Amino acid sequence: MLVDAPYIPPSVFGLEEKTSPEPEKSGPALGRRLATLALRGGSLAVFAGVLVFFSIAAPFFLTVGNIGNVLGQSAIAGVLAIGLTIVVIAGGSNVVTGGIDLSLAANMGLSAAVYATLAQAGQGDAVAILGALGTGLAIGAVNAAAVTLAGIVPLLATLAVMNVVAGLELVLTQNTVVPASGEFLSTLSASGPFGVPVLAYVLLGFTLVVAAIVQYTPLGLRLYAVGEYPDAARAAGLPVRSFVAGSFLASGLCGGFAGILSVSYLSGSTTGAGEMLLPVVVTALLGVVFSRRLVPTITGTLLSALFVGFLINGFQLLNISSTLVSGVQGLLILLVVSATTLLCREAV
Amino acid sequence: MATASLSAFTRGIGRYALVAALAAVFATFAALAPGFLSGANLVSVLVNNFALLAIVAVAMTFAVSAGGIDLSVGTAIDFASFAFVSLVLAGQPIPLAALGGLAGGALVGLFNAVLIAGIGISPFLATLGTLFVGRSVQQLLTNGGNPVYLPPAGVPEAFRFLGHGSVAGLPVPLLVAALVIAGAWLVLSRTRFGRVVLATGIQASVVRYSGIRLSRVTAATYVLVSAIAAIVGLILTSTVTVYIPSSGNAFLLNAIGATFIGTTFDPHGRPNVPGTVLGVLLLGIVANGLLLSGLNFYWQQVGTGLLIFSVLAIGFANRKAAARA
Repeated sequence: MLVDAPYIPPSVFGLEEKTSPEPEKSGPALGRRLATLALRGGSLAVFAGVLVFFSIAAPFFLTVGNIGNVLGQSAIAGVLAIGLTIVVIAGGSNVVTGGIDLSLAANMGLSAAVYATLAQAGQGDAVAILGALGTGLAIGAVNAAAVTLAGIVPLLATLAVMNVVAGLELVLTQNTVVPASGEFLSTLSASGPFGVPVLAYVLLGFTLVVAAIVQYTPLGLRLYAVGEYPDAARAAGLPVRSFVAGSFLASGLCGGFAGILSVSYLSGSTTGAGEMLLPVVVTALLGVVFSRRLVPTITGTLLSALFVGFLINGFQLLNISSTLVSGVQGLLILLVVSATTLLCREAV
Repeated sequence: MATASLSAFTRGIGRYALVAALAAVFATFAALAPGFLSGANLVSVLVNNFALLAIVAVAMTFAVSAGGIDLSVGTAIDFASFAFVSLVLAGQPIPLAALGGLAGGALVGLFNAVLIAGIGISPFLATLGTLFVGRSVQQLLTNGGNPVYLPPAGVPEAFRFLGHGSVAGLPVPLLVAALVIAGAWLVLSRTRFGRVVLATGIQASVVRYSGIRLSRVTAATYVLVSAIAAIVGLILTSTVTVYIPSSGNAFLLNAIGATFIGTTFDPHGRPNVPGTVLGVLLLGIVANGLLLSGLNFYWQQVGTGLLIFSVLAIGFANRKAAARA
């Protein structure tokens, strides 16, 4: 046979519920905790190792200016990945039947197009901002309705919405670049204190706010409960559907917000937003390793986005083809998930 | 399956939704789009809009039937295409090169099989990883993502057969698609392997407790998915005589869409080959009809998306109602 694994019980298999609480004895649980610690420490060590390697190989790497640049360049993907993380938290980590929002990248594209078009039409910054955020929120509302009212699996619902949204963007822009400028956009794309781009501060501030809500409020705790143990959450009287709907609204809003950031970063709306989709999905899923219990977290997603950002930046500084980045991302996610899976299997 | 009784048909409005959507779309375009009903156009729908996507979607149906998903079908297409083109450029005979292409695609499936059946990673994550690694590998192989052209003059006629040839008046891509569809339907609904695959998707633990080596079945499933997808790589390369890195991903989302639209055709909402084929047909007819009706190109995507959305919404709403009853 092709795979030399007949005697290994595939205890974690595909779509089977992975999060079901297996009764564990204290021994394996301790071992698992140690192993989890090692994995988490290991991923942080890899992160640190990569930073150290780049800072030795490329002296410019570890300057404030460069770090700020990486933060700024990661802002758009970071905001999108954080939006996706919210959906994953509320929907559960099973990506096929659980929470996922494939419309996020297209959402960003359409929101950016709306912003740029409104700005072109001579509308003020406030109108354009409201337009972009409103677009994102509306897309989120459609997703929420499709998932919670029509009962379509998130993967498919957001896939269909993605197609519609990407089409609407083409209709709006006629597949061209819509340049946009304005006071607000120049402020966003300028440099802030210490010569660090404003976008970097925006990303950090945004993460801080969302992380505070998701990780340190009862609301956030309930969000995790809804995602991990929907039955228990329902039994405890939590409005599961409202939480799931709310998570899609939040991610839609993140898409609109990312749209504004991308308009300022690129001085207009451009086509090809859809290409951001899979990298954003990987970033959000990779963020799991930066959390203590290997669950999706906002700060973990930020670290993951920065990790990818530093990787791309380091490769550029070293003049290594940045095409390797996607390979490294893919390998990382496979390594991380393999390690997690093997650890879980040992623990059972 | 295809021979389901009439009562099952009427019980599931979800099934009705897909067939009705197909009929409505067909009727609408027949009335509105000039030339839609012409024989040449219908053949063109089948060859250009249906055949290749149908093969990919049938491959996807295997993965979804086994309770998984394969995001790396595009990678398998690309690897097959690359191996095919490279072998032809190296002067190998066409049949050998085609076999090499199939093997190149199946290699992707082998990688997935190790990840999913060997290590136990969830299919979504495993194949997403494969997709990313595959993209990098292709860029490394092609010096940063340059297309590999075959000189049009030097291409043997046999090479063009898969893409441009015809047997008894039928275009080869369509024939291949028909064979793949029939074969997949037979395997899934008429063989032991197919039953085990379907059972895996419904309840994997039961399969395991029945003493079946689940990991082997899963491994075989993902190799099969990639091997089927690899066929598309061969046909595509033969049609355009060029290998473009990472171009196979264009099929991915439509294949997933068609497979899941197809699930509304089953009373229990399970993936099935006939449903998938209807789903692909729906997507193909909509794409072609919108093109002919002279609608703004950019609105076509919106229209397609809305249509998929409504079929899914009706199908799932009905399934929910059925589950409640």
